Amino acid sequence: MLKRLSFVLMSLICLGNASAASLDVVATSPSMGALVRAVAGDRAALRVLAGPDRDLHQLQVKPSMIRALRSADLVVAIGAELEIGWLPPAIASAANPSIQPGRAGYFEAAAQVPLLDAGGPADRALGDVHPVGNPHVDMDPARMTTIARALAERMAQLDPGGAAAYRRGAESFASAVEQRLPGWRARLANAHGVVLYHRDAIYLLERFGVPLLGTIEAVPGVPPSGRYLSELTAKLSGKDGVIIYAPYQAPKAANKLARDLGWQAVRLSLEPPLKADGNGYLAHLDAWVETIASGR
Amino acid sequence: MQKTALAAAIASALLAPATSIAATDPEIAELKAMLSAMKQDYEQRIQSLERRLAEAERTASAPQESTWTADEAASKPMTAPSASQPVASTPSTTGGGFGALTSGSAFNPQISVILDGNYYHDGIDGAGAALVGEALQPSGGHAHAHGDETEHAHGHGTTENGFNFREAEIAFSATVDPYFDAAAYLAVTDDGDVHLEEAWMQTRNLPQGLRVKAGKFLSDFGYINKQHPHQWDFVDQNLAYLNLLGDHGLQDTGIQLTWLPPLPVYTLLGVEALQGDQELFGTTVDDAEQAELSLGDTRDGPRLWTAFAKVAPDLGQNHALQFGLSYAHNSQHQEVHSHTHEGEDEVHENGLAGDADLWGLDVVYKYDGAGPDGQGDVKFQTEYLRAIKDLDVHSSPHEEIVGSNRTFTTDGLYAQAVYGFAPKWTVGLRYDVLGLTNEVSGDGDASYGSSDRWTLNLTWSLSEFSQLRAQYARNDILVAENERERFDAFYLQFLVSLGSHGAHSF
Repeated sequence: MLKRLSFVLMSLICLGNASAASLDVVATSPSMGALVRAVAGDRAALRVLAGPDRDLHQLQVKPSMIRALRSADLVVAIGAELEIGWLPPAIASAANPSIQPGRAGYFEAAAQVPLLDAGGPADRALGDVHPVGNPHVDMDPARMTTIARALAERMAQLDPGGAAAYRRGAESFASAVEQRLPGWRARLANAHGVVLYHRDAIYLLERFGVPLLGTIEAVPGVPPSGRYLSELTAKLSGKDGVIIYAPYQAPKAANKLARDLGWQAVRLSLEPPLKADGNGYLAHLDAWVETIASGR
Repeated sequence: MQKTALAAAIASALLAPATSIAATDPEIAELKAMLSAMKQDYEQRIQSLERRLAEAERTASAPQESTWTADEAASKPMTAPSASQPVASTPSTTGGGFGALTSGSAFNPQISVILDGNYYHDGIDGAGAALVGEALQPSGGHAHAHGDETEHAHGHGTTENGFNFREAEIAFSATVDPYFDAAAYLAVTDDGDVHLEEAWMQTRNLPQGLRVKAGKFLSDFGYINKQHPHQWDFVDQNLAYLNLLGDHGLQDTGIQLTWLPPLPVYTLLGVEALQGDQELFGTTVDDAEQAELSLGDTRDGPRLWTAFAKVAPDLGQNHALQFGLSYAHNSQHQEVHSHTHEGEDEVHENGLAGDADLWGLDVVYKYDGAGPDGQGDVKFQTEYLRAIKDLDVHSSPHEEIVGSNRTFTTDGLYAQAVYGFAPKWTVGLRYDVLGLTNEVSGDGDASYGSSDRWTLNLTWSLSEFSQLRAQYARNDILVAENERERFDAFYLQFLVSLGSHGAHSF
């Protein structure tokens, strides 16, 4: 009986480890997953922890996340405290020393590039603020090329045999972005501007010089009051633009503002689809560019 | 440009008084020498300042180069600077170089303070909040008070009708060194008592999915056991935990080993060796009573052992489900049972000693509705506990029962569901019961009834850092054989969290 049990246990363990890929990678979000696919291709066995419709700041730890992190060689996070509620406790519970912060197996995209909104006051009267900076760097294609190259170097360090392949992957992602940039720039040259629910797409707006006309929430993480919304309406009336909100943000205020201003309110994910690769990421940005350009 | 202007200003400021005084030639020469020395000194300082400025600008504008080469450093998590900025790690220029180089408060642990207060009212003059933890069970518990009962004195304050401040929980946590993490949790009650809730260290680097924790901690027995009161979905603890484990749950000093085997489904296995200083399940009586009732001395620890297993299949990103099985064994358990006989004033005390077992089953299911601020989320949790105490009568005024055996079995369960019906708003419903089995067997047989309760609550999470909660409970508590107390209890609770961002644990 005991023999049979241990046999079952051993075969389960073998099953758990069966994988042809050289690196076991866990990405926190689909954009980081897309980057991993772009850089590593088949060399990485990838697990993405959250879908594009989830709020990465509000997510809760699930045992399945801990299990995925338990045998990961590398965890790729957006970082800058975006995943602070759940990733540190999940990593701590995963009992995997190689992905602890500070080790080569821990990669934060936001730590590779300069951040916007950094250095604000650490005062929560201003909402759920994060003085370290705005974490949503994955919305900027140019920063993503920097991040892709840094990720390739990190993967090369963990898996030297694939160094050339990782660097090739990062370079081809970078050149794909390079090719798209002029088209996006042209498309957004005369964009009127955007109202966001939260300052989560500002990297994209800043890259192409699109004005951020306002945010639906007055301070981060706190729903808007009726008075704030009417002030916003008054401020924006007569102007042109488009309202964009994420799937997990309450649509009510966005739709009301759109009605009052005669604008469009568009529900658009900050993240590409779960299965996106480098091209999927670019297609995701295409959708954003088209939506912003559509603002009349 | 700025440099020359500055130098000119310094020079004229110094020269002005020098020329206005009729001075001797040697003095002038000396002054000139001093001046040129000062000028040189200032120029050097300005140059070094400029160099430093340029360096800072370079690193700020082109972090790509620096992160590429130093990607070891870039694998550290970005965290917000603490409110008190650490003293600059480069030599301070504004301080004139007198300040000591220090990393200041940068090594402070993460700190959070959670304030937990309420308004309470029940229909029995405020006695209800204590009564729910004193439901009748034939063994132990609080039901057999000794007159000078002190067991409850270290509870989380006493709740009265009106305003109550339950506790301020102060939590510190940090990474000690490459080998250990550590945390300490203090609870300060409204009368100023400070209790060490937890203080432990845990390994970071063990291989093969192993971790060791040592210190005083909340056991991983069951599911709700290791949650602090502010993490509960209801204001108060369920009847099963409250009556079988007490106010603090299974909280003890010892060591824990957990293993996360590389199985296809999440599986966590763990064992704990604990001292046995547990308020109800792990209790021994004091020295005086031990001598008086010939119960024997408290043996060396560890006396309390636990083992637990948790399994969670992967059901995709919308669902999370976890099953848990837990067992605890207390190798030395002592109780004093007192009774009086009709028409007599004398209190009879029986001294009982033996061991005790506790079984726990738990199921937790969470549905992530992906709506705004928790709208559509569902959390269901249920646990079943069964305590079996196998005790012998060591002393009694009734000689004939000395040496006889009594087995006390009391079980309990709770089931609760919380639903996010609107952004930031949840409604919760709980049913809890103690004593589905509530009996004595062995050389003496007796069976008692059960106590139960229905609880409904409404929680408004204004932000991630504050919560307001209203809770109503209908209690039916067995207080003595064939004597029940039925009452309504109402809570209004506030919970605020100061300091570092809380963890969204499973």
